[in-house]
Amino acid sequence: MKPPTESEVTSPVVPSVSATESPVSNPSLSGLTRRELLIGGGKVAMVAAVSSLFSPFNINVKAATPKSLSFWQFYSPGGGVATQDKWFQDMVKSWNSSHDIKVELLYVPNQDYMNGSKLQTAFASGQGPDIFVISPGDFLRYYNGGVLVELSQYMEDAAKKDFFDNVMETRIVDGKIYGLPMEVEPMAMYYSHKAFSEAKLSEADVPKTWDHLIEVSKKLTKKSQFGCLFETGPGYYQNFTWYPFLWQGGGDIVTPEGNKSAFNSPATVQALKFWQDAIKEGVAPRNELGFGGGDPVANLASGYCAMQNLGIWGVSLLRENAKGFEYGVFPCPTPPNGQPKSVLGGWSFVANAKGKDPETAAKFCVWALGSMSDDSIGRVVDWCIKAKSDISPRKSALEKATELGGYKDGPMKVLKDDVFPTGRGEPRVPPEVYKAVSDAIQACQLGGADPKQQAAEASQNIDAFLAGYSGAPLR
Amino acid sequence: MRSSLDAPSVVERRPAGRRSGVRLKRSQREALAAYLFILPDALGLAIFVAVPMLFSLSLGFFSVNGFGGFRFVGLANYQRMLIDPLFRKSLWVTFVYVLILVPALYITGLGLAVLVNRRMPLIGVFRSMFFMPNVVSLVVVALTWQVMLVDKVGFVNRVFQLFGLPGYSWLGDPNITLYSILFVTVWFLMGYYMIIFMSGLQEIPREYYDAARIDGAGPWATFTRITLPLLRPTSFFVLLVSLVSAVAGSQAFDLIYVMTRGGPANSTSLVIFYIYQQAFQFNNYGYAAGMASFLVLILLVVTITLFAVTKGGRFHFT
Repeated sequence: MKPPTESEVTSPVVPSVSATESPVSNPSLSGLTRRELLIGGGKVAMVAAVSSLFSPFNINVKAATPKSLSFWQFYSPGGGVATQDKWFQDMVKSWNSSHDIKVELLYVPNQDYMNGSKLQTAFASGQGPDIFVISPGDFLRYYNGGVLVELSQYMEDAAKKDFFDNVMETRIVDGKIYGLPMEVEPMAMYYSHKAFSEAKLSEADVPKTWDHLIEVSKKLTKKSQFGCLFETGPGYYQNFTWYPFLWQGGGDIVTPEGNKSAFNSPATVQALKFWQDAIKEGVAPRNELGFGGGDPVANLASGYCAMQNLGIWGVSLLRENAKGFEYGVFPCPTPPNGQPKSVLGGWSFVANAKGKDPETAAKFCVWALGSMSDDSIGRVVDWCIKAKSDISPRKSALEKATELGGYKDGPMKVLKDDVFPTGRGEPRVPPEVYKAVSDAIQACQLGGADPKQQAAEASQNIDAFLAGYSGAPLR
Repeated sequence: MRSSLDAPSVVERRPAGRRSGVRLKRSQREALAAYLFILPDALGLAIFVAVPMLFSLSLGFFSVNGFGGFRFVGLANYQRMLIDPLFRKSLWVTFVYVLILVPALYITGLGLAVLVNRRMPLIGVFRSMFFMPNVVSLVVVALTWQVMLVDKVGFVNRVFQLFGLPGYSWLGDPNITLYSILFVTVWFLMGYYMIIFMSGLQEIPREYYDAARIDGAGPWATFTRITLPLLRPTSFFVLLVSLVSAVAGSQAFDLIYVMTRGGPANSTSLVIFYIYQQAFQFNNYGYAAGMASFLVLILLVVTITLFAVTKGGRFHFT
């Protein structure tokens, strides 16, 4: 028997009226008085009002067997880099061709996805996507909200071991994996060859220390150009870019146990002061062009700045949107007695535990990025060296990508060989802790506040929050 | 002409058994008709405004994580507001914002209306130009001004350089940024208030001005003795609407969201933006709802005060 179509199931039964029949002559309407019509209409309105009142937060209607799962992400069709959207389309097409329960991609604009309310309102109304992508900075919000499915239960042991430890540490709770990264994005410094040559600087002048960076930046600063650029907009991204400077001096946000603040330290103070000095010396801007400090085309390639603190994604953005622009990459400079450090960002596939079919959603994530099949490994390779410019989160995929020449020279080689080994996973902290760190960075960098005082205040706020915190450990 | 409700013949044709027991007077039928016409709007307001407001008010007594977790916390959210320095800071930022924006909109709106309320060539073009920002999306406005106000290479700083003036970080200096946002808000809204004031000006009879001129009144005396007093109802409307939208951050939210994200250093974090952050970035829906209720309370006090001072917005000129 042919199953009923969706419209057959959901369409209300409406008595048909033939072209020759007058609607007035319909017995179901002609006997209805105005009063009855009003009473009936009122009842319908009441039912609608009551059901709409109680639907948010409470009712999550689940179909017995969903026909499709929704997958929300922010790589737009025909967007900045066409190959990235195509990678998503190809992946979904491949899954749909071999599975009964289909996956449907939904594009959410980047700004709305990262800083907007789309995802949050969807979850609040019980209509969150079945599959979505998150960064480590947002991990605890969703994990503590109980909406992440454990993915490791569907993974082979070999696949679990295939992911780098420093990449996975912020996606694991109690030894269980809740997010599978598609990429690793270390932070470094980019510099413009043109700006360097105009200032009569060479590769030998590439800064190694913080003081040296300020000194070189002064030489590069001109009437319409800043010497260097650090992110200035408040948000998760700014914190992310600042962490390497905190870690280089041995600092951290919380203690290794994750239950007390470690923020009030000399390392924090010097990192806050370093960014403040760059502004005070007039070598770094207080705001940026384009979509911010993560945009090398609008800032570095346009000549707004000569050096830019930026992640590995800058390579593909420059490759696609600033053809012919010559630049180099070097690891973030270090403070006196400091250690080279970078932060490893990157987005993960996660499955919604309160979605239509959490098991299938989780299996999709594992199928896409976390199985030992050639397809799965090849997909990670394609994303990291063809669609985008990233380090692979998997050992096998990194080997294969290296064999294919993805990191053989230029910026990608520096990022893989010199920057990635010094990397540490982007910390996962609850929003309240992120906000305390963000306020300290903003107050010092742009408000000229005393770094010592800000470090102490932020530390107090973090401790006050952690005293009542009962979620997954901070990392 | 008889309305359909005013048609006894229809009732008379009904079978006796179905006739209503209560016969309404004509005035009652008219009142009923009026209520029926109002009903759709009233229902819409009730379902989409009043009920969510009540729902939001009740959320303020819960801890809500946005993933289905509810916990009754009594007045904890309101107690938290008292000790939250970021909330206090956002209240102060909102106060400064309102204090400057409302008079600025009044003065620029009225000033422009007086300027363009005359017959001269191309006056329609000027009116259109002043109103033009209103037809552009606020996001586009914000993005455009963001580029124009950027450090060093922005249009505004380039103009400053032409005159040998130092450049400023209009959107990056916590001491300046709120005023930059205020400037853009006024630029965006002044055309809208200009139109409202123009409609008020055009209702003032010309005879008053003719009589004043015959009596020897100058432009200033005419403005202060005739125009301003007769614009009181319009002024009340403008002040009320601009005040409510300033406190609620109707326009400011979009501008701040795009241009500064509440920064630098929380210097543009209006209450409405902080509420948004708490709800959608920190998933503290209960706390955000508590703050929203507090904001509504402020708006109520302000509006009631305005109505009390102006005796319900009724003005008598005799």
